Amino acid sequence: MEQKNNQPVKYDLNFAREIYSLENGSYIKQCMQCGMCAISCATREIMDYSPRRLFNLIKLGKKDEVLEANTMWQCTSCCTCKARCPRGIPIIDVMHDLKKYAIQNGYSDDPRAAFYKAFWAEVASRGKVFEGGVTARYYLIRGLDELKKAFAMKDVGLNMLRHKRMPLLPPKKVKGLGNLKKIIRKAQELERKEAGR
Amino acid sequence: MKYSFYPGCSMEATAQANLKSIEAVAGALDLHLEEIPDWNCCGATVASGVVGDFTQQVMTARNLAIAEPKGYDVVVGCSSCYLSLAVTNKRFKEDEHFKALANEALAAGGLKYDGSLRVRQFLEVVINDAGFDRVKEKVKRPLTGLKVAGYVGCQTVRAIPYEFDDPEYPVQMDKLMEALGATAVDFPMKARCCGSSNAIAATDIVVDSALKIFQSAAGGGAQVIVTPCPMCQLNLDAYQQRVNQLHGTNFNIPVLFFTQLMAVAFDLPEDARALNYCIVSPYEALAAYGVGK
Ligand code: SF4
Ligand code: SF4
Repeated sequence: MEQKNNQPVKYDLNFAREIYSLENGSYIKQCMQCGMCAISCATREIMDYSPRRLFNLIKLGKKDEVLEANTMWQCTSCCTCKARCPRGIPIIDVMHDLKKYAIQNGYSDDPRAAFYKAFWAEVASRGKVFEGGVTARYYLIRGLDELKKAFAMKDVGLNMLRHKRMPLLPPKKVKGLGNLKKIIRKAQELERKEAGR
Repeated sequence: MKYSFYPGCSMEATAQANLKSIEAVAGALDLHLEEIPDWNCCGATVASGVVGDFTQQVMTARNLAIAEPKGYDVVVGCSSCYLSLAVTNKRFKEDEHFKALANEALAAGGLKYDGSLRVRQFLEVVINDAGFDRVKEKVKRPLTGLKVAGYVGCQTVRAIPYEFDDPEYPVQMDKLMEALGATAVDFPMKARCCGSSNAIAATDIVVDSALKIFQSAAGGGAQVIVTPCPMCQLNLDAYQQRVNQLHGTNFNIPVLFFTQLMAVAFDLPEDARALNYCIVSPYEALAAYGVGK
């Protein structure tokens, strides 16, 4: 992604502060820009910015560049950078925070945002994940065009069906689903309170 | 030895072969797995991208809270579930503030977790509790001559680095394969990411990752790939044909859970080997070891 160098530099320091207040956000301040994450990352080549550059843009308050970047969505949670970062920054967890923040602030054009939302809706409704349910919810969010693309993949699906890898019926719901939902609600409430501290 | 067992969602769906072979191998090695009653999804690495780490970890902790009264080690057979459960468990042990808050949330569902358990991967339990010698004793059909690429994947050894193997170049699963009589091939991509949950929303990532992994395994002359991870297994198995279509390659490497190959070497019944779940047929590669369709 091209940085818009011809425009006056806009520093949105509020943005940096907001990101630092996320669950793992304050770790970003420890980044020493060494580049270990960039050379380690499994998907670096297809990221708009490496984790290192993204963290720098956060420090600079570049809100749109950061939230429109595909970096956090390309992250596969492989933990390589987390295991190698000399500053001990849990980069994968920072990426989780950025995904959540992007979704909450309406930056969710990336197909993975739809997948993440579909996955969570599934967990929240039965306490377990059912691939069929996640897939259906995903295409509901993304619409018909995406479904057409999926048609190119029909062989994969058929092969999975043939080898009993794609159950058509969901698993039983968690029996304690009511309590699980209460726990989740309470956790979200506490998390919001903590973030406001 | 008794353990609390956390199967995870995939074992009820795409990875039934993982469940069947783990249960059978555990039985053969006298490792008693007791399923955690009414367990729930750990959230994988996806939930925290929507609701944040704290909520995801609390949800994961419900399973640990239910298991705690028994006091057994918690055994996990999925790398992604392991990452969730092990990291959450570590936070309960190391972060008092987190623990207090998390217990406040758990209390809303009448639960409490004190952080007293150990969370372990089935692979590590086989290696450290059963041990290579016990495994060797159980082998009835040595896999002599079978060239195996041990695909450990990313999270297995990096969720908690150096917990039981080298996070950069793991060797323990290779040793286990050699205990079965097989030959572990040189496989530089053995701890590389498979593309994980991108299969639906960004298929290219999975196809590209899989291509590199197949090239690396084939370069070492591998006849089969084994893995402990349901996500790795599914991506490499279900997308192998797609890789071939898109890249004009001709890979035909069956991808098994390491426990399936153990079931073959232990000469356990077909239901334990669960080879009918393999999309890339394993029957040719394993024909010499008493496996028929
Ligand atoms: S490896 Fe760590 S310290 Fe180095 S650039 Fe990446 S995040 Fe910053
Ligand atoms: S965890 Fe994400 S950012 Fe880190 S190396 Fe893996 S893909 Fe890259």
